[in-house]
Amino acid sequence: MLTAEDQMAIEGQLADFLKKSEALWSALVDKGGNLFAQSGDTGTLDLSILSALAAGSFAATHELAKRLGESEFTALYHEGHGQHILMSALHHDCLLVTIFGEKTNIGLVRFYAQQVTATLNTALKQASDKEATASPLQLEGDFMNNPATIS
Amino acid sequence: MAFINYSSREIQLKIVYYGAALCGKTTNLVTLHKQITHAQKGELVSLATDADRTLFFDFLSLNTKTLPGFTTRFQLYTVPGLAIYNPTRQLVLKGVDGIVFVVDSHWDKMADNVESFANLQENLVENHLSLVQIPYVLQYNKRDIPNAAPVNYLEYTFNNRANRAIAFEAVASTGGGVLETLNAAARLLLAKYSKTPNANVTGMAKPHAMTAVPPPVEDPQAKGAGVT
Repeated sequence: MLTAEDQMAIEGQLADFLKKSEALWSALVDKGGNLFAQSGDTGTLDLSILSALAAGSFAATHELAKRLGESEFTALYHEGHGQHILMSALHHDCLLVTIFGEKTNIGLVRFYAQQVTATLNTALKQASDKEATASPLQLEGDFMNNPATIS
Repeated sequence: MAFINYSSREIQLKIVYYGAALCGKTTNLVTLHKQITHAQKGELVSLATDADRTLFFDFLSLNTKTLPGFTTRFQLYTVPGLAIYNPTRQLVLKGVDGIVFVVDSHWDKMADNVESFANLQENLVENHLSLVQIPYVLQYNKRDIPNAAPVNYLEYTFNNRANRAIAFEAVASTGGGVLETLNAAARLLLAKYSKTPNANVTGMAKPHAMTAVPPPVEDPQAKGAGVT
């Protein structure tokens, strides 16, 4: 659970990363496919689908790594004709997903991704420590007797 | 686990449809995508083989306004039913909040159903989880086929325990019971996080809580091992 302040700080780091690397969009996603924080612009792309597919893709790669005797591949790169995706492993079961175009290149994006990875890991560690002592999520309402939630 | 995005005022919850091959998991999502009109829904994404068998997962995202000031985003996934894709099933279960276990009502599929339920429990253990922690709903699908196993037999096989799960009869291909199943799973999930504790919600609901399928009056003839 990230607080609003944690999230703003992380999104600030992502924005700084985008500025330096000249990438288009970057996000912190967990390995279950949840989007935690993001910066940049993807136009009309459905970000929940993007996060789910990125997490799935990275998870499949993780299994490949295990079968090769590696604990994990730390990064995964998909090269397109105009747009590309770089995924970098973070601590606490999270990923940094970055989309970039022709304005930059994989070397530059990877260089700055490695830098921001270290900062994000520190932020995630602090959030995880806070979560360990925080009270659990509690919602108002008696949901069992509510009418249909989804229709 | 449920994730709260404070900047977009959104709670994200992951529900996984689990079950044996060809039991109707993907059909549930396809039907939901057609049936749901009020909730804001995303595109239905299917990672399938050329023969339309789920290779990785299907995915459907639904945004609802169930909580004041927050959007609840339900992320629905299916797992591949084929046994060779078991590692993928483990991956899809990562971070799961709730489960819909789809049972194929065909008599000939009972062994596959039982094996899949046992496999679900094993894969939850792989993710350091269990059905005691994770709310789940049973769906007895394909109730329209001529040789469907009686509901009391399915209840005896899959729901014969002190704390019975909520169960629904369904015909996913035509839509019957599909939305009811999802709503029950959604309510269970939200109730798990409710400030006012509900005795019916831990991992499972107690008997008669919202049960669409009534508990069996008497044990049917045992035609195979029950699920433990």
